[in-house]
Amino acid sequence: MSMAAATDIKSRPLIAPKPLKRSWLESRLLPLLGVIILISAWSLAVHRLHVPPYILPAPEAAAKALWSGIAVSPFSPLGYYLPLWSTLKNAAIGFLIGSGLGLFLGSLMAESRIFEKLFMPYAFALQSLPKVAIAPLIVIWFGFGDGSKVAISALLAFFPMLINSFTGLRSVDPEKVDLMRSLSASRFETYRIVKLPHAAPFIFAGIDMAVVYAFLGTIVAEFLGAQQGMGVVITKAQAVTDVAGVFAALFILGFVGILLHATVQKIDRKMVHWNRRGQK
Amino acid sequence: MIHPSIGQRGSAEALIAVQTLSKVYPTVNGGYVHALDNVDIDIGEGEFVSIVGPSGCGKSTLLRIIAGLDVHDEGRLILAGRDIAGPSPDVGVVFQAANLLPWLTVRENVRLPLRVGGKKKQSGTSVDDLLAMTGLGEFGERYPYELSGGMQQRAGICRALARNPRILLMDEPFGALDALTRERMNLELQNIWQTHKKTVILITHSISEALFLGNRVIVMSARPGRIIADLKVDIPRPRSLDSIILHPEYARLSSEIRGLLNAQGEVE
Ligand SMILES: Nc1ncnc2c1ncn2[C@@H]1O[C@H](COP(=O)(O)OP(=O)(O)O)[C@@H](O)[C@H]1O
Ligand SMILES: [Mg+2]
Repeated sequence: MSMAAATDIKSRPLIAPKPLKRSWLESRLLPLLGVIILISAWSLAVHRLHVPPYILPAPEAAAKALWSGIAVSPFSPLGYYLPLWSTLKNAAIGFLIGSGLGLFLGSLMAESRIFEKLFMPYAFALQSLPKVAIAPLIVIWFGFGDGSKVAISALLAFFPMLINSFTGLRSVDPEKVDLMRSLSASRFETYRIVKLPHAAPFIFAGIDMAVVYAFLGTIVAEFLGAQQGMGVVITKAQAVTDVAGVFAALFILGFVGILLHATVQKIDRKMVHWNRRGQK
Repeated sequence: MIHPSIGQRGSAEALIAVQTLSKVYPTVNGGYVHALDNVDIDIGEGEFVSIVGPSGCGKSTLLRIIAGLDVHDEGRLILAGRDIAGPSPDVGVVFQAANLLPWLTVRENVRLPLRVGGKKKQSGTSVDDLLAMTGLGEFGERYPYELSGGMQQRAGICRALARNPRILLMDEPFGALDALTRERMNLELQNIWQTHKKTVILITHSISEALFLGNRVIVMSARPGRIIADLKVDIPRPRSLDSIILHPEYARLSSEIRGLLNAQGEVE
C-alpha cells in the first residue's frame, strides 16, 4: 500500500517545461519589444512629424533630464533622491496606517454581523466615491506638511484593503469552519488558522492596490502644496514648461510603481504558494 | 414498511443514543424542510454502523447533529451518558473530500486537532505513527495539493484520529475517489477500525461499501428522514473484497437494501 502511495506522487511531473518556455517569451521578450516600438514611435513623432518640444520632448531630451537627476550625490537638492525619499516615506506610513485599519475593520465586519450592518453599506458607497476629491479638504485639516500626505495615502490605501479583506474572509468554505468548530477551536483560532490564510490571496490583491494608491495619494497631496517630494519636482518643472523634466519625473514614478508592484507580487507568490497550482 | 429489528432503544450500554430526534430547517421563502423525523438509533461501543438512504434524506444532518455542529429541534441525543451540547473531543469527524487546509503541510494538518480547542492538548496517538500507519510517512512535509485524492483522505482520517476519539463520524468520505482507490481505502478503514477499536458511523451511497464495512446497515427513507431498516451484517471479519461478495448474507442484504431504496423512488 505504501508502495502504491509512493508512486502516486512521483509519477506526476512537478514542472511542466512547455508552459514555462512560453511564459518566458511572454513575460520578458514581448514587453521589451513593446518598449522598443513605443520609443521608436515617440522618436518618429518628434523628429519626423515635428511635434513641438513643449508638447512632446525628444526621447534624448527626456533621457538627459533623467540622467541629470540620477547622476548626482544622493543629498543633492537637484537629484531625485531626496524628493523620492520624502514621497516614499509618507506613502509608506500612509499605506501602513490605511491598510492596517482596512484589514482590522474588514476583519471586524466579516466576523460580526452587527458591524457589517452598521458600516458595510457605507464602505461600499464610499468606495465608489472619487476619494482624491477629498484631498483639498484633508489639506485644510492637516496643513501642507507631511500630515496631509500621510492622511490622503492612508485614505486611498484603506478602501481596497477593507473591501478585499472583508470579501476574502467571508468567502471561506463553510466546511473548513465546521472542521474548526468540530475541534472546539476558539473564534480567534479559526480566524488565524483558517480564515486569514484563506483570505490571503484577496488581501494580497488589496495590498497591491493599496501600495499604488498610497503612492498616488502622496503625489496628489504634494500637487496641492508641499515643500518636498516628487509631486513638487513635477510642479516645479511644469511651472517653467520643462516638459522633458516632467517626463523624467514621470519615468521615475512609473519605475518605482512597477518596482513596488513586483515586490508585492513576489511576496504574494512566496506566501500564497498553495493558490498558484493550475493558475499558470 | 417497518423492519422488525427497530424499536429496541434505551439499552444502557449504548455509547451513542439518538432518541426520537427531529430536525426542521427553515427555508428562505418562509417554508420549511423537514429533514429528520423521529429518528431512533442506539450504537454500542466498538460498533461500525453504515447509513444509506436517498440523497437529501437527512443523513448529513443526522451526522452533523451527532458531531455537535447542528442542533436538533426535538428528541434527545446522548453520548457516553451525557446529552450532547456542541462538539466533543470524543468525536472525530472525517469530511467529504478530505477538507484539508491547503496552506498547511500534511503533518500540520494532522496535528491541527492537538493545536486548537484549548485544554485537551494531549496527543492520543503520535502524529508520526498515524502517518506511518496510513502510508503517509514520507509525505508529512508535502502540501495537500501535491497528494492524490486517496492520500488526501488518508490524511483526513489521520486528523480525525489525532485526539484519539472514541467515535469516528464519516460523511461519504470516499465518494470523490475512483473505484480502485475506494476499495483500498475500505480495506484500510477496516484495519483502522479493528486495531484502534473505534465506534464508527459511516454515511455512504454505496451498498457494497456499507456491507463491507458495517456491522449494521441503517436504511433511511426519503425526506423527512426516518429509519426504515436496521440490518445486522453477520459476515465474519476480517472481510476481504473478494470473499464477501460470495457470502450468502451479502447477496441477501444487498438485495434487501436495494429493494428498500427502490421503494423510496430512487436508487443511488
Ligand atoms: N442548513 C440548512 N438549511 C436549510 N436546509 C438544509 C440545511 N442543511 C440541509 N438542508 C436540507 O435538509 C435536507 C437534508 O439534507 P442532508 O442532511 O444534507 O441530506 P443527505 O446528506 O442525506 O443528502 C435537504 O433537503 C437539504 O436541502
Ligand atoms: Mg449528505
